[in-house]
Amino acid sequence: MTRGELARLSLVVLLFVVIQETVMLDVRIGGVHPDIMVLLPIVAGLIGGPSRGAAIGFTTGLVSDLFLPTPFGLSALVGCLIGFTVGLATIALDRTAWWLPPVAALGGSALYEVTYGALGSVLGQPQMLHVALARIVVVVSVTNALLAIPAVRLVKWGMAEASTEGMPTSDAGVGAAR
Amino acid sequence: MAPPRRSRRPRTTLLLLVFAAVTIITLDARGGLHVVTSGVRSVASDAFSPIRSGVNAIVEPIGSFLAGSVHYGAVREQNQKLQAEIDRLKMESRSAADQAEALRQMSSLLHLTYLGNLQTVPAQVTDFGTSDFAATVDINVGRSDGVQLSMPVVGDGGLVGRVVKVSHHTATVRLITDGQSAVGTRYGPAPGSLAVLNGTGPGKPLSADLVPSNTPLSNGEVFVTSGLQGALFPAGIPVARVVASHTGDSASQESVSLQPESDLPHLRYVTVVLWGPST
Repeated sequence: MTRGELARLSLVVLLFVVIQETVMLDVRIGGVHPDIMVLLPIVAGLIGGPSRGAAIGFTTGLVSDLFLPTPFGLSALVGCLIGFTVGLATIALDRTAWWLPPVAALGGSALYEVTYGALGSVLGQPQMLHVALARIVVVVSVTNALLAIPAVRLVKWGMAEASTEGMPTSDAGVGAAR
Repeated sequence: MAPPRRSRRPRTTLLLLVFAAVTIITLDARGGLHVVTSGVRSVASDAFSPIRSGVNAIVEPIGSFLAGSVHYGAVREQNQKLQAEIDRLKMESRSAADQAEALRQMSSLLHLTYLGNLQTVPAQVTDFGTSDFAATVDINVGRSDGVQLSMPVVGDGGLVGRVVKVSHHTATVRLITDGQSAVGTRYGPAPGSLAVLNGTGPGKPLSADLVPSNTPLSNGEVFVTSGLQGALFPAGIPVARVVASHTGDSASQESVSLQPESDLPHLRYVTVVLWGPST
């Protein structure tokens, strides 16, 4: 990762944090607020593939954890798993398709919230499954699906180039992928 | 031609990151890293606080618009001019009611008889929970005001929760309805019996533990903090009142539901009690 890319990505993450901690905390739908920080690992996986999705998911998760009352490191754990999963699941798909970001954001966000609650419960926070999980899944998934396309543009700007890492390659393509 | 093959690097990366995350969570939970993580969180809160305030002042109207747009369908057919007038009147009325409610909460916080001579710090609730997975509120006082971890926080009706995160100028309070909250209480005629009130999730009633079966409890009976040695709260703070109780067949404990005494969903102002178990 070049210095320029790191600076641009940091700016994108900062923008997401600012929007989440200001506008999104004021928006409550059925008592639940949207969570656009979840979009970062999903979009990173979609654009950069499983490895970069996991790395960016881990980093942005740690940033999210700074502002959350839940166990420190939990968002990083779920972020890297979701970034990797989305990257892996979309390898065989045409990543330029307009419908892919909203669909990936919808499914990825739902998976993120369920995994977050389940892993939190396993890691000694059983109350995390005693919340309105279905409502959280619906609100976060739908709002993230609506915001997926602008998020993809921002993260694409942040990442120097879309990677083909992790995709099936022939011998000739291996070097380019790395 | 060689068959297609996948790079193994992504899986190695994932395994390393998962290992790192689990290590961080474990060290944080066991206390080894907690000083570091709580310090970093505190610095992040302090650094972000002015940004949050500044951006909030600019974008609050956008947030209000987004929240209001959810209900747009119900009002779209009304006449625009009339609607504007209604909105103006509603805003005036809401503002007056809002100010009256704020005044009521602040006034009642001045006369919290159950706190006796304990030192307190008034605080304003700035945010209702940054996570959908925990019942917490953020308040606008912190270490610079004398607030420390684990200090009790009360509202006009009674106990609200305790401080679980504190930075220089802000703090996070875990409400008594949070699933991780447990409060030692006393109930019944003096000297009173002991029970533990557990949170069951945001907006849900509390449940009581250690109440023997067939205990005669009347609806409205108030449980107050026990203040036993080593307790997390001083004695005598009202916590919650009974809304339902029954004993199941062959159950050894009474099943009791309680409603918090403080109006937790509508908190505006609270009081932090400058008290710790050792004071």
